[in-house]
Amino acid sequence: MISKRNIAYVNGVSHTFEDGENVLSFLKRINGKNSVPTLCDAPQLEAFGSCRVCSIEMSFTKDGPKKVVASCHTPLVDGAHIFPETKKIQRLRKNIVELVLTDHPLDCLTCEVNGNCELQDVAAQVGIREQRYPAGKNHLDRKKDLSHPYMTSDLSKCINCYRCVRACDEVQGEFVLSMFGRGFDSRIIKSMDTTFEDSSCVSCGACSQACPTSAISDVFFSKGIEATKKVKTICTYCGVGCNLEVNVKNDEILSIRAPEDSEVNPSHTCLKGRYAFKFYKHPDRLRTPLIRRNGKLKPASWDEAYDYIADKLKTLGENFGPDSIAGISSARCTNEENYLMQKFIRVVVGTNNIDCCARVCHAPTALGMQKSFGTGAATNSIKDLKETDLVLIVGANPTQGHPVTGAKIKQEIMKGKTLIIIDPRKIELSPFAQHHLQLRPGTNVAVLNMMAYYIIEANLQDQAFIDERCENFDLFINEIKALDMDEQEAICGVDKKEVRAAALAYAKASKAMEFHGLGVTEHSQGSKTVMLLANLAMLTGNIGKPGVGINPLRGQNNVQGAADMGVQPHQGAGYFDVTTSESQAYYKVHYGVDMPENIGFKIPEMFEAAVEKKLKALWIIGEDVVQTDPNSNFVKKAMESLELLVVQELFETETSKYAHVVLPASSFFEKSGTFTNSERRIQRVNNVVEPLSGTKPDGEIIVDIMNRMGFEQKPYKPDTMLEEISQVVPFFKGVVWDELGDMGKQWPVLEGGQDTKIIHVDSFKRGKGKFQFFNWKESQELVDNKEEYPYVLTTGRLLEHYNCGTMTRRTSNLKIKDEDILMINPKDANDKGISEEDQVKLFSARGEVILNIHITDEVKPGVLYTTFHFPELMINQITSNTHDEESMCPEYKVTSVGFEKVIL
Amino acid sequence: MSKNISSLSSRQGIENNLFDRLVEKGEATGTVSDQDIQSLATEFLLGEGSVLSAASFYDFLKRENQGKKAYVCNGTACLVAGTQKELKENLKSQFKEDELGEICCLGRCHEAGAFQAGGINYSGLKTKDFKDFKNHTKSGREEYPIKSNLKDPLLTGKFKGYDLLENVLAQTPDSLLQEIKDSQLRGRGGAGFPAGIKWETCKNFSSDKKFIVCNADEGDPGAYTDRYLLEEQPELVLFGMMIAGYICGADTGILYIRMEYPDSLRIINDAVKKLEDSAWLGENICGSGFNFRFKVIKGAGAYICGEETALLASLEGQRPEVRVRPPFPAESGLFLKPTIVNNVETFAFIYNILEKGGANFAKVGTAKSTGSKLVSLDSTFNTPGVYEVEMGTALNVVINEFGGGFKIPVKAIQVGGPLGGVIPDHMFDSLTIDFESFKEGGFLLGHAGIVGIPESFSMAEYIEHLFEFTAAESCGKCFPCRLGSVRGQELMEKSRHENYKIDPELMNDLLEALEETSLCALGGGVPLPIKNILHYFEPELEEFFIQKEKS
Repeated sequence: MISKRNIAYVNGVSHTFEDGENVLSFLKRINGKNSVPTLCDAPQLEAFGSCRVCSIEMSFTKDGPKKVVASCHTPLVDGAHIFPETKKIQRLRKNIVELVLTDHPLDCLTCEVNGNCELQDVAAQVGIREQRYPAGKNHLDRKKDLSHPYMTSDLSKCINCYRCVRACDEVQGEFVLSMFGRGFDSRIIKSMDTTFEDSSCVSCGACSQACPTSAISDVFFSKGIEATKKVKTICTYCGVGCNLEVNVKNDEILSIRAPEDSEVNPSHTCLKGRYAFKFYKHPDRLRTPLIRRNGKLKPASWDEAYDYIADKLKTLGENFGPDSIAGISSARCTNEENYLMQKFIRVVVGTNNIDCCARVCHAPTALGMQKSFGTGAATNSIKDLKETDLVLIVGANPTQGHPVTGAKIKQEIMKGKTLIIIDPRKIELSPFAQHHLQLRPGTNVAVLNMMAYYIIEANLQDQAFIDERCENFDLFINEIKALDMDEQEAICGVDKKEVRAAALAYAKASKAMEFHGLGVTEHSQGSKTVMLLANLAMLTGNIGKPGVGINPLRGQNNVQGAADMGVQPHQGAGYFDVTTSESQAYYKVHYGVDMPENIGFKIPEMFEAAVEKKLKALWIIGEDVVQTDPNSNFVKKAMESLELLVVQELFETETSKYAHVVLPASSFFEKSGTFTNSERRIQRVNNVVEPLSGTKPDGEIIVDIMNRMGFEQKPYKPDTMLEEISQVVPFFKGVVWDELGDMGKQWPVLEGGQDTKIIHVDSFKRGKGKFQFFNWKESQELVDNKEEYPYVLTTGRLLEHYNCGTMTRRTSNLKIKDEDILMINPKDANDKGISEEDQVKLFSARGEVILNIHITDEVKPGVLYTTFHFPELMINQITSNTHDEESMCPEYKVTSVGFEKVIL
Repeated sequence: MSKNISSLSSRQGIENNLFDRLVEKGEATGTVSDQDIQSLATEFLLGEGSVLSAASFYDFLKRENQGKKAYVCNGTACLVAGTQKELKENLKSQFKEDELGEICCLGRCHEAGAFQAGGINYSGLKTKDFKDFKNHTKSGREEYPIKSNLKDPLLTGKFKGYDLLENVLAQTPDSLLQEIKDSQLRGRGGAGFPAGIKWETCKNFSSDKKFIVCNADEGDPGAYTDRYLLEEQPELVLFGMMIAGYICGADTGILYIRMEYPDSLRIINDAVKKLEDSAWLGENICGSGFNFRFKVIKGAGAYICGEETALLASLEGQRPEVRVRPPFPAESGLFLKPTIVNNVETFAFIYNILEKGGANFAKVGTAKSTGSKLVSLDSTFNTPGVYEVEMGTALNVVINEFGGGFKIPVKAIQVGGPLGGVIPDHMFDSLTIDFESFKEGGFLLGHAGIVGIPESFSMAEYIEHLFEFTAAESCGKCFPCRLGSVRGQELMEKSRHENYKIDPELMNDLLEALEETSLCALGGGVPLPIKNILHYFEPELEEFFIQKEKS
């Protein structure tokens, strides 16, 4: 047998090639990225072979006959001889490009991509000097499409390379763009041959990024070369952690693109990351500190504000003790800022009353996964999707909430992998799923126990894994076996045969990967549900290898980091239990002070304590608790009860209306630090523009106040802050600012810098993985209220808006979606005599709102759904105080409601 | 191509086929309604644009052809026969002008004057026949002679029955494959690739699903040999496909037959129905454990679907655009599964190979081109028809003995369709019907459909026709073909009708770019006949080109 040598020759010089490498990528690697001209090839897309400009000559022996082949789709073979620039090749390339220019406007000087046009570059590269064909048929009279808030097209510039069509298919998976007709007159269309505005485009911009000319672009001219600086940073709109390449001129952001070489989001973002950036210079930005005087917030200097806060905190601390003070940090701030805030509260104020918005989203994930595995973080990496055979999505709508990860999941499912969805609502991915268990809201526990039951019944558990790596299995299995499936079926409202089929599919897949969102956590049994998911993974051995695991989809950009940094009342930086003397001693070594010993307040407890006058002061960074926390009226009451409310924000919010001091913070574009994404990836946030005049980065503000209150803290700089963090947080040990690079590192990062893609590989962090059984229990909200309010409301979010919308509502995203709408099943609408154009009053035991509706079978009868982005509506006036029994995460996903038609 | 669409389309299996559904929806009105497109997109989990863009590709589905009631053939044979101008006038007496469309080609090359109306093909009608031709509902089936110079014809004899299956299915796939390899049968679609090697490749890929696809999209003007086999020898074709399935481990055979051949569709459907009603098809055939079924798919008017990867894309409901290779279909074809795609004639040989034995089959013909070849002759011949000749038979024998010579003075013939070579009359003596002889002469045997180019027909117009045909049928994916075919046609048109002379260097550059860099044999193939004409008919063409001083 002839041994494989993987050697090919370029102009007679030998080079080794990689298995499966095509000639184009081989030549680019050897001779440079631009050594071979091409018009249809792009790194994020499959080889397509339409432009033929990358043609080269090739022979299989040294002096053998040469053949012209397109390098982009020609695989290398051992001993091949490649001639990339023969006279013939030069002539052929020139002749093709000359043909292209017969149907392309020659108005380069006024074209938005002048200087960054691939056609222009290639024409120059192949040496076009004239165009010899007489004037003939052409498509230069095609009209521009400027209908959309972001996307534009000018198809007179189109060269029919199909890159946009392929990006829409292979990157976003949306199939909005297609080629229409055939031959010379074939042209790009959007949906049913309409405008961008009227098409089903989701404005991800992947097409614009892929287009080599200005045929498809955006209103920000993101392919233009006007910018004088490109800065890489990380998006703040969700936990995916997309890398952004920001074009800047004159300290102003012109546009944003996705880096081609990003591991997280190669050439891809959603419309929020790419286009929703204009908020940063919105006239509504707070530009000066405000202090409440005579009942009104009045402008003040930073010194006045700091003095006011420091004095008040000192007085309150002295009079009522440090536990009368609390801080809410922000999962949208950097690791360094979160670390500083918890340090300020613990070390300077002297209390463990520190929490953040993870409380209202993924606190149950952190808690549940810690109890089962020992670490509250994703076990695997998103890239593992390539290796898995089955995806299980529980209580998440990734294409809306985590669009880039959602698109990656969709790509794998469209190509034939199995998808199981457990969700009360039909989501965009549902039609693609082999199994959609559309359960009654609040019954995750029943369904997951049923799945375990059926896996055990079919004897499909991975006994070797269980025996070797887990504990408590015997107790668990006995409890599971004792369950009555008919009873569980009645609870969850899903045919038990469907649950069984999904369970068997999950167990039989050689690798199954689980993703979950707030549909798991925001329930009264949220933490328990996380532990049941862990049970399923352990039961089937889906832990500790590529393509498996439990992978929470984090809502905010730095939920993972905030928890890692100790922004929680029971654990300090690095997850050490605040109540043990060992931990207290550990922190004392680093901070030089005695540490508070009691577990502090969680956010809901802070509100209760405020109302009870036990909590006097609250400092909130970047969270609009009045709009986003449940039972708004109660939250307002808590805010009103405080003696000091400090709100650190970009904009005035529903919460800042109650503040005594408002501090104008800088946005993520205006500061540096690190964010940690859903897959534990610590990535560099680099300041893109200087802080808006009058604002300060949150980190600087906290350092200022620490110093003002007598604690010596060095100035806020990401490199020195990370150095301090790496000394305190064990899994950050090897993290160094200058070594994070463009891709970041996934923790734990060992000393020396080695990072970790998959955790719990050989053993669990806690030793043995722990099986735990919990039985389903009806939510107290339903027990108390379902008689009077018989419908169940569940909430979620829209692709176009982020959380309470303070940022996205101040961009053109508002032109795409401008309200929260109530989804009602046709049966329920019919029962109430409601039609599509009606408004309804939606009410619960707490309050009522009026909103527009959409009648759809996305929800089952008895279930209603809406989003919570708009303060005009304040949907949280009706949600309840019921919360997860362990973590106190509010039960946003289950509210007893009634509704009726508004009679005008 | 889109892997996503391939995969999503395959979810419904071959029974609920997206392309089939599109054609079915389009048949009533000549186009597919927006509503139908939207409902198909929802059903197949695709974008509306994905479905619309596929429909917009086909002559019989695109919006522009909505309401067309009759299609006039514009293929080469009808063109050179000069029948179509008069035909259009005759049809105008029956239809409004905007109800007339064009089509290429109906395979009625032996009598020309071809058109399709009401799903029925007609040809060779006289002016007086038009008054009541619509009443000829019996179908416009024609008569043409069928002859062979073989003692024991392989393709034109009487079918001897499926009984052979019993004996054959008792043998192992390996031993049958060996027979095919021994026969040295080369694919008859044009490229002449050894069938045994293709089948072996497919056989060696393990997959839960494989397909056998019969490329019955005979779109080359001048060729109607496949039509002959589909209509007169359907059993030979079906038998060959079943054996391919048995050898490669495929349980599904798909015949992709063009809508331009309504009789072929009807006859093949009948033959499949008959097979389904017999014990020779279905589950566990002859107790061998072998399962097989057929699906007949009706094309919708796109020449490029004769290209195998475009045909597969079409079957998936995608735009029939040519795909890059590798992977070859034998590895990743229909729905990304290993797939054999062969021409009608290739499958039709299998019966005789297995009946006689591969080695005996290989004794017929020449050393490198075994077996026989069907040849079809157009209406410039005195006795046009379908003739089966042993490989190696002199071209002159075909022209003079079978064809009876030409009716009118002919200066050249084009063999193998618009992408085949143009052979000047002085070279008729020097060629034999086999792959090697044609290649050595600078031509292409292809499927050996022969069209005579009358002495009176302008070669400049002929070149323009070849460019125009390519432009009309180009899928538009690769740049040289999409743009070059149009620019070539424009150059010829301008030089014929305006005071414009073509720079020969520009023409050479255009032809070289087309030939060397096109993605498939359409753009890559059309330069061959054009170069032949430029070479052999230089004096006739001089007036259209800038004459440069010879240095």
